[in-house]
Amino acid sequence: MALEATQVTRPRGPSRAYLVGDYAAGAATALAAALPIHALVDTGWDIVLAMLVGVGIGTLAHLAVLAVAGPLVGFFQVMAPGGVIGMYGGMLFGMRDSMQAASWPQTVAVAVLFGLVVVACLDLYDRALRRSQEAG
Amino acid sequence: MASAVRQKWDRASGFYDRMVRADDARFGDAKASLFRRMRGRCLMMAAGTGHDFLHFPPGLRVVAIDISGVMLARARGPASAYPGALGLVQADAQALPFADRSFDCAVTSCTLCSVPDPVQGLREIRRVLRPEAPLLLFEHVRSRLAPVALTQDLLTPLSRRFGPDMNRDTVGNVQRAGFRVLREANIYLDIVKALEAVPA
Repeated sequence: MALEATQVTRPRGPSRAYLVGDYAAGAATALAAALPIHALVDTGWDIVLAMLVGVGIGTLAHLAVLAVAGPLVGFFQVMAPGGVIGMYGGMLFGMRDSMQAASWPQTVAVAVLFGLVVVACLDLYDRALRRSQEAG
Repeated sequence: MASAVRQKWDRASGFYDRMVRADDARFGDAKASLFRRMRGRCLMMAAGTGHDFLHFPPGLRVVAIDISGVMLARARGPASAYPGALGLVQADAQALPFADRSFDCAVTSCTLCSVPDPVQGLREIRRVLRPEAPLLLFEHVRSRLAPVALTQDLLTPLSRRFGPDMNRDTVGNVQRAGFRVLREANIYLDIVKALEAVPA
């Protein structure tokens, strides 16, 4: 069934404090995933095993950050990017640590960058949805 | 089943307001915009602690139900502050204790993620609504973005133990229950939505 174009008002966008919170939660999720994975997974691990361990640790990291940051920032804004960062980021971090000897500073920097990029991508997608809705 | 659901929400009542404070702040304007369409005698499904009452337009006759008596006890304060008539009734959304065609409007706010059989709950809403009466829904649903949807699917078995499902197809359920969707707005990504529907 085709849906009519909608004029239901939606927020113009998050306030700056919430926006900072969204990015901070994304970076925190990525760090909470990457650091224990880096501590556990060594070069020479089977890459499939490293991926699975990464997914598991990343998902647990996501849940932990969601429990803390969700009430402060907003559950959905933490859940959507956090799930992607935890699950897929954890998988990538596990793969990386099984294949190369990354330093701790590199691990931290890449994790923060990954978290911020995922939040930014979903923020851009949200804004694109808003623009198409307003135009439609 | 109803007893287990009631107990779950009785337990959640103690921390519910703290958990949704940021969501309320971020989505309050969108809720108020949607609820502006309320009219006449309105049914609110799953009132919870009454934190949505402040988004209602003044002067309506609202009957707000919830399955949890503890939640409703917390909702008494917000209900008494509402500038209109707002009554609280403990009831199961899947078996409403109201006559057919007795409401001019119905609203839900993050309700259908928690009703065990959402289509049955929606059929009950349809039964008590008058013809052409609007159903206004502010709900979160499963994303169509595959990476996000997969995380919602994985999160749901855990979230269901403490509160709502995260991956419901609420737009589809509304249609399956015999409503026609008039308007659909994405509030955050395609996860949080505002909908307006009428009995088909």
